[in-house]
Order: sequence, then C-alpha cells, then structure tokens
Amino acid sequence: MNDESRRTEYHSRDFPVREDMAYQVKVWRFERWGWYAMVLLVVLALLGLFSRGPLSSRDVHGSDGKVRVEYEMFHRHGSTNPMKVSVIGRPDATVELELTGKLLEGFEIETLQPEPVRALSGEQGMKLWVQTDAQGQASLYLTLRGEGLGLFRSHIASPGAAPVKVDQFIFP
Amino acid sequence: MDSVLRATVMYLALLVLFKIAGRRSLAELTTFDFVLLMIIGEATQQALLGNDFSLTNSILVIITLIAIDVGLSLLKQRSQWVQRLIDGGPTIIVENGKILHKRLRHARLVEADVMEAARSSQGIETLEQIKFAIIERNGKISIIAQEP
Repeated sequence: MNDESRRTEYHSRDFPVREDMAYQVKVWRFERWGWYAMVLLVVLALLGLFSRGPLSSRDVHGSDGKVRVEYEMFHRHGSTNPMKVSVIGRPDATVELELTGKLLEGFEIETLQPEPVRALSGEQGMKLWVQTDAQGQASLYLTLRGEGLGLFRSHIASPGAAPVKVDQFIFP
Repeated sequence: MDSVLRATVMYLALLVLFKIAGRRSLAELTTFDFVLLMIIGEATQQALLGNDFSLTNSILVIITLIAIDVGLSLLKQRSQWVQRLIDGGPTIIVENGKILHKRLRHARLVEADVMEAARSSQGIETLEQIKFAIIERNGKISIIAQEP
C-alpha cells in the first residue's frame, strides 16, 4: 500500500485541482539545476571570473623581461582597477613607453602616477616618457575605469624591449 | 536606449532567478526575507539606473518594467503555455490525511510547514484532519479540511 502510494505520487490528480506532474517534475529539476548553476557562478566569482581574483589578476612580462605589466584581465563596466607598468631602461634617464591598441578606447585612465616627463598621443595610441631611478627602473601606476564592453587587446612596448600583450575583457 | 535594455535585462534576469528560487522562497515573508528583499532591491537599483539619475531615465526604466509586465500578462491570457511557464501550477502535497513525501521533498518543504499552514488557516491540529493540502501557484499552502 505504502509502496504503491509512493509510486503514484508522480501521477497527476484531477481533484481538487488539475495537476500536471510531468511538468512539475521538470520545474523541480530546473530549480535544482538552477541552484547548481548559481553555486558554480558564486565559485567562479570567488575565483575572479568577474574581476579581482586568481583567474583575473595577471602579471606578464615580455620575452626579455624588460617590460612588466600587472593588470586585471576581467573588468566590469564602470568599475575601476589598477594597472602597474614596470620598465627597465638606462639609469637616471627617461625611458619611452608606448601604449597601443584598444586600451584607450575601452578604458578611461582615471589616474596616472607618477606624471610622465613627456606625453604624446598619436594615431595608434599614446607614448609616455618616464624617469628611471639609479637602477634604471621605472614604474607607472594607472587606474583604469572600464567604459566599453567586450574584449580589448592592447600592446605595451618600450623601444629595445620585447612588447607585452594585454588582453582585457569588460563585462556589462 | 540603454535604460530600456537595462530594465529589460534586469526584468528577465530576476524572472529567471526567482523561478530558480521556487515559488515558496518569498511567499511567507519572514523578517529576514523582508531584509533580503530590500538588499536585492538595493543591488538592482544601481544597475537599473547606471550613472544617470535624471528624471527621464527613471521614468523610462519604470515605463519599460511596467510595459513588460503588462505585456507578459496579456501573453499569459492568450497562451496556456506561457501562463504555465511563468505561473506554474498547483501541487497537492497532502491527500486524505497522508503526506505525499516525494512531492514534499522536491518542493523543499517539511511536515511542519504544512501543519503551520493548517493551524493558521483552519485551526487544524492533526494531519488526519487534513483532506487536501495544496501548494498554490503563488507558493502559499492552502488547506482543505476533512469533513467531520
């Protein structure tokens, strides 16, 4: 009796309400899989799929190691993230950095520290000259605010050094 | 353009999310559910309006939301399929004083929830006195008492 009632639980009743158990089972299954999907999204968010986390933070350098860029690969529209560009040049001199590609189209540079000695914008992008220290190192700190949507590929280069490719994705 | 898109995307996203949460998740509004609802509202607000706090933008967003809402209810009237998709259907969970356990488990309910509804709506004391307990489309449990 008990077993039979268990088996008939999935049968639709017509009284007092008209049921559609086949559909209801689908709804329950949707709720369960939806929950799995939500947990997965939470885990991915913790890992940094939507910016700030191990999946998103990048630290790349050119093949000769002279130019090094630390940045977030994933951005969200309207949020700000830091970017650090380090370059090795001659000691106590200025070194040229060239930012080309889509970087300036997808992002608004909110702050740029320290102020470059000289800056120039051309057709392709932006050139900055920064002062190196006694060891020949210079760093540039940028705050980027994502203004576009989608993938933005850019290059950061310095004459005489291998360029660095920077790919960034901005979520809506 | 973007305010209409924002509102549409947000409406659809919330529709799907609350479908996943199930019909009962916010049906019995406890104090905590109420706070949760407010936080969800707060999180939604920024994305809906963006950086544009103008009167035009907020009216546009409201118009879009209401237009979609009315549109969906019109669609529900015409199509049985859409109505079932959005509103779902009722499910019987107690039949002639016996709990349908599998259904109860799938609906993420326990016996106490059924008895609570039975007490508050009909003054029923035991399970045997319930003829039918039904989860309605809005997530509330309605109770039909056994005739004496």
